[in-house]
Amino acid sequence: MAIREAEPLGSLSEVREAGLDREDLLGIYRNMLVTRGIEERGHILYKQGKIPGSFYTGRGNEASSVGVATALGPDDVGTPLHRDMGVHVTRGVEPWRIFAQYMGRYDGPTHGRDGNVHMADANLGLIAMVSHLPAMLPVAVGCALAFRIRGQDRVAVGWYGEGASARGDTHEAMNFAGVRRLPVVFVCDNNQWAYSTPTHLEYACEHLADRAQGYGFDGVVVDGTDVLAVYREAKRAIEKARNGGGPTLIESLTLRMEGHAVHDDAFYVPKEMFEQWAKSDPIERFRTWLQEHAELTGDEEDGITAGVKKLLNDALSRAEESPLPDPAKLTEGVFATQEDLDTPHHK
Amino acid sequence: MSEKTYLQAISDGLREEMRRDQRVFVIGEDVGVYGGAFKVTLGFQEEFGAWRVIDAPLSETAIVGGCTGAAIMGMRPVAEMQFADFISCAWDQLVTVAAKQRWRAGTPVPITVRLPSGGGFSGGPFHSQNPESSFAHIPGLKVICPATPEDAKGLLASAIQDPNPCLYFEHKHLYRRIKAEVPDERYETPFGKARVHQEGDDLTVITWGAMVYTAEEAAAQLDGDGVSVEILDLRTLIPWDKQAVLESARKTSKVLVLHEDTHTGGFGGEIAATIAEEAFEDLDAPVKRITAPDSPVPFSPPLEKAFIPQVDDVVAGLRDLAEY
Amino acid sequence: MSTETAVDVVMPQMGVSVSEGTITKWLKSEGDQVEADEPLLEISTDKVDTEVPSPATGTLTQIVVQEGETVEVGAKLAQIGGTGSAEPAEAAPAEEAPASATAQAAAESAAASGAEGETPAPEPVAEAPSAAPAPAGDGAADGKSFVSPVVARIASEHGVDPAQVQGTGRGGRVTKKDILGFIEQGAPAAAPEAPPTPPEREPAPTPPAPPPPAPAAEPAVPQPVGAAEGEQFEPMNAMRRGIAEHMRRSLDTAAHVTSAIEVDMSKVVAIRKKLKPEYQKAYGINVTYLAFVARATVETLRDYPWINGEIRGEQIVTRNYVNLGFAVELADGKGLIVPVLKHAEGLNLLGIARGVVDIAQRARDKKLSPDDVQGGTFTITNPGGYGTFHGTPVISQPQAAILGTYAVVKRPWVIEDDRGEDVIAIRPIMNLTLTYDHRLVDGALAGRFLRDLREKLQTWDESAY
Repeated sequence: MAIREAEPLGSLSEVREAGLDREDLLGIYRNMLVTRGIEERGHILYKQGKIPGSFYTGRGNEASSVGVATALGPDDVGTPLHRDMGVHVTRGVEPWRIFAQYMGRYDGPTHGRDGNVHMADANLGLIAMVSHLPAMLPVAVGCALAFRIRGQDRVAVGWYGEGASARGDTHEAMNFAGVRRLPVVFVCDNNQWAYSTPTHLEYACEHLADRAQGYGFDGVVVDGTDVLAVYREAKRAIEKARNGGGPTLIESLTLRMEGHAVHDDAFYVPKEMFEQWAKSDPIERFRTWLQEHAELTGDEEDGITAGVKKLLNDALSRAEESPLPDPAKLTEGVFATQEDLDTPHHK
Repeated sequence: MSEKTYLQAISDGLREEMRRDQRVFVIGEDVGVYGGAFKVTLGFQEEFGAWRVIDAPLSETAIVGGCTGAAIMGMRPVAEMQFADFISCAWDQLVTVAAKQRWRAGTPVPITVRLPSGGGFSGGPFHSQNPESSFAHIPGLKVICPATPEDAKGLLASAIQDPNPCLYFEHKHLYRRIKAEVPDERYETPFGKARVHQEGDDLTVITWGAMVYTAEEAAAQLDGDGVSVEILDLRTLIPWDKQAVLESARKTSKVLVLHEDTHTGGFGGEIAATIAEEAFEDLDAPVKRITAPDSPVPFSPPLEKAFIPQVDDVVAGLRDLAEY
Repeated sequence: MSTETAVDVVMPQMGVSVSEGTITKWLKSEGDQVEADEPLLEISTDKVDTEVPSPATGTLTQIVVQEGETVEVGAKLAQIGGTGSAEPAEAAPAEEAPASATAQAAAESAAASGAEGETPAPEPVAEAPSAAPAPAGDGAADGKSFVSPVVARIASEHGVDPAQVQGTGRGGRVTKKDILGFIEQGAPAAAPEAPPTPPEREPAPTPPAPPPPAPAAEPAVPQPVGAAEGEQFEPMNAMRRGIAEHMRRSLDTAAHVTSAIEVDMSKVVAIRKKLKPEYQKAYGINVTYLAFVARATVETLRDYPWINGEIRGEQIVTRNYVNLGFAVELADGKGLIVPVLKHAEGLNLLGIARGVVDIAQRARDKKLSPDDVQGGTFTITNPGGYGTFHGTPVISQPQAAILGTYAVVKRPWVIEDDRGEDVIAIRPIMNLTLTYDHRLVDGALAGRFLRDLREKLQTWDESAY
């Protein structure tokens, strides 16, 4: 029941053992590019005044989010947060809807009722986050409870940050999950900073994964910039949960490469930290790995890059045509109807 | 029909729902082995097993949040807060996640939270509250306050089948004190429909929960004065039967709103304001409210008596209204 | 995206609580070519300093805010494309034209029946809450007595004075029971006795009774008297009150004079006979005499701008457009509405026929918007639907005139034959009246207008119209 530090994945054959083939790897690479592309584009839109409110991204977290999401089974569910755009992308949310959501347009998943990445396509097994973090952890545990009661071999994944770990919801969710050995995996996006608060002011243990032991399950620390390592740990944890082995806490280490939000220039983060972590940019790392271990050619790379660029340009154009929501419909849908239950909003 | 106590009606109704709908499960502290602090779920775990009558850790957030997640996955969870007062520990889950998920993300959250509420037995500040109005204020939550055993059963069935988060306030002081005829078959009592507890022509009392009986006793005394009092039991606060209230207000032109919850910000204010807005020209007297005062619920009996509206308080209020 | 139309560069909101930003440096100058997303300038805010990327590709035609200046979030900083100068002039706001003329049935005209659209309320008049009926002589020492809302309402509905009623409420107040009982008994009670309660006891709420429920203003009226034998009461609804107010005001404002002219409609009849099946088949609409008259009127108004005009203060307002109102009767004769066909000067016969059909349909379907009943500059009404041949409609304020059309009647008429001799023929004759405001329009002008209008109708030029 100790914590472990995860080793990186070395070769293509090791990767095959973990259940990925070359096509899968290129798919992962592409998803990471789409994730970053959406968020970079979003930054520009925000500064052009096209996105209202505030704007949050997860630059530096692409490997962690895409890696975990790739390990989810088709019927598994998750509660991703604002640094986890890669989860939405990997599960298949269309980028144009994400842009529409950012811009408060009707065709975003919340039809303009919530902003940022407070969205989710329930048909893809994702539940929309709230601002009060980590309120979604007990909800993820609840999903796992339902699976356990009904004897389904499905798994729930709940994300939270190292800052949110300080709130009671984390404790109650993990405790309950551990007591009942529920099929849930907790993923802690530890990106070193909660707004301007560094880790040593958020928790007093060395690793957050240490706490898993207190709840009766295993914790593992993984290099969050190594997508294959993340994938492997996530896969292990998810399959363990699926087979009745109970929860796991995965602590994924990254650096938040931008401010807390676009209005924050992160002056409080030492320059050296940025420089150091920039060397292990998740996308760069993976590209290099693919070139070295999977024979990624220049043409292939260009093809993928061009494809992503076109996808996002088309997505943005389409999103810009989406209308703004109608104020007259503001109070519709405060209460659900029986029809709402009958339409497949969940799997 | 059989005669049941308020508590038996709730227990039987819940058991019936669990038998007919496999998606329903109960979760709360001490609900399993112990049968619940008030014995509402006595015998349930024996019948339905430990995974449908779940003894939760002392974790209101995990309980309510857990119900939310399970409901999103297609189940119909019924959470029991040991006392309604502890709902404040799960405030965030209710107000932030459950209440807003349908509106925001199109995802219904069909959970029921049972809340043993109310005072009158020296429970003190943390075991006697009626925290209904704060939740009535949050769009997306439904608030249910049965007064009779028949309504308790029917409203619980409706709550469990309702696609929205339902806060079901069962008044502890009625559990064993009130006994009445309850239909044996299953039925769902609609939300937003008041029940005329008794008809009258001169004064209207709008009330709910345990106060229905206080109003009844007070009205009997006014009967002796030759004043006929109509009592409307709202049964649910969100949604509430505005039409019935306005009709009665127009009929008698003199209205008293009575609730056990504290005064400022209590739901009576909403009712009074609505009557003033929409039946102003039918009023022959200002709308009166009789409520608990603005303090926490006291412990010692003389204090508690001064806190909870008594029959005499209501009699005085009604007489005052009659003479206006 | 490349742009020829102007695209604004605005100050972004860098954070939810940020309300302004300062320009620290322009990276481009006026006249420069810029690409979309290329950094244009640098800004500084409370939260962060950043670059602002260009929203479009094009020429930076205008820089509005200079370095060092601080502006609010959303303020225009510069412009890409366009001409970089003044905004287009605002169209003059159309004047309000509330419900108007005493049109009766619209029969042959395309006007609606059964439409029950709402008139926009006439200009809001300051509401004076009507004072409570006279203080009751019920014994309160200072002579004041409180009348509750329900008692006030019942009193007004039945024309009863609460002062006549014996009060049994606190302080001798008349209660609902008291006044209902009083009404039930019919005859007024004997002079009220002083109640035994101490006279200085004031009813707690303050006296003045509430204003009546109607949204429109209620002018001061004499105290309602009880119904006499054989009489019934019904309340005036908002529309009726609106019409009453407007009619009175119009007659008090304008100097109403009416001139009439008879028009030989034979040419119009012939053309209509020809066009009717054509229009029905090709466009699915019924072309009516009203459409012909309307078209000819619009054409004639070009030469008579004052008749399409308005007195505003000391100025005479004329326009280069005609917003033509048509008076439409509502169901059961309960009122009328005047939807407006905007810019009728740009429509030919087909356009006007279509416009009239559309308006009538929408009035019937209760789909008129407030915009549809405002902004008229001239109105046509058709009192002749029931066969009347003459009338004197009321002008729709603030217009200068209103044209009335009447029944087309076959009459023996003296005409000149090819030999120049007088003979009698049967001709379809329509009377037209122009009711005009003599403050602005003199009789001679009105006469000339009617002469020209008649000319156009009698010599209808198909190619021109």
